Amino acid sequence: MSAARAAILVCLLAVAGAAIFAAWPSPAGPEERVERIVSELRCPVCQGLSVADSPSESARGMRDLVAKRVAEGRTDEEIRDEFRRSYGDWVFLSPATDGPTVLMWVLPLALLGFGVTLAWSRARGPAAIAPEPAPAALEQLRARVAREEAADL
Amino acid sequence: MALPAGRLGTFPGGVRNALLIGALVALIVVLTLGFRRDPHDIRSAAVGKPAPAFDLASLDGTGRVSLQQHSGKVVVVNFFASWCVPCLEEHPALVRAWERYRTSDVVLIGVLYQDSVESGRSFVRRLGTTWPTAIDDDGRTAISFGVFGVPETFFIGPDGIIAGRHFGPIDEVTLIRGIDTLRRRP
Repeated sequence: MSAARAAILVCLLAVAGAAIFAAWPSPAGPEERVERIVSELRCPVCQGLSVADSPSESARGMRDLVAKRVAEGRTDEEIRDEFRRSYGDWVFLSPATDGPTVLMWVLPLALLGFGVTLAWSRARGPAAIAPEPAPAALEQLRARVAREEAADL
Repeated sequence: MALPAGRLGTFPGGVRNALLIGALVALIVVLTLGFRRDPHDIRSAAVGKPAPAFDLASLDGTGRVSLQQHSGKVVVVNFFASWCVPCLEEHPALVRAWERYRTSDVVLIGVLYQDSVESGRSFVRRLGTTWPTAIDDDGRTAISFGVFGVPETFFIGPDGIIAGRHFGPIDEVTLIRGIDTLRRRP
């Protein structure tokens, strides 16, 4: 394995490891759960801000409702569903992972895969280089180049 | 002249051109769809679903205002606030619609949104609001309807389904059209 290949492999493993570590669920208390949910919800008044960041009355009302539902023992998904029923997927700052918006998630990954494939193929070195053209084709190309250079003069 | 030893490109010309054209078409489609939409017009997820039940204290302090008590009727729910200038603008249209339908099977309910009871009472007294009004003091009813701001008006059919929603100050024509459409439904 070449040094470039090894470097790409190490980088990929590091990114995958970081993603798994970040996404790994950790047990959270009620306050952490409230914070996590309200940070995902979009404030209907401010729209660009999360409920966690918005100082509006609407955001305060939504935060209170989330806290109440957590205290009632509802799961995170049940609480999200309640807001989804009222506001649709719009209420989530992150786009949904189903329906047409799945493209927003898949496309960057596809582009990343494309880039990695490109980098990988370039790092393969001499083996990736196309074979020399056949002697007859090479002669034809040389003759064409000579003709075009003569025409330019 | 020596020819280059490496490849001239990662992809064959045809594939590269197809990728470029595909990306360009995708960009144009996305921009066309994006620019056609009014960014302020956010579709309500509540439309087409059963109206959330509510049972709120009436603004005049005389009792309760609930959606269930008007089951089987056309109900127009208008979220408003005394501090909201567009609510002031739309008020004459609501008055005219109420005068037109108050003796029929149509109910208009005002829901005070993010406002103090005193300010709300002063508002309805000053403007002569005669339809039932209620206080959504914790904002739960507004959240359950998916309210974005005031004024916002919801049309509920006799079947209890939210048939339409109007964001911003509503005019008399829109009110009458919305109500008559629901009244004509079998």
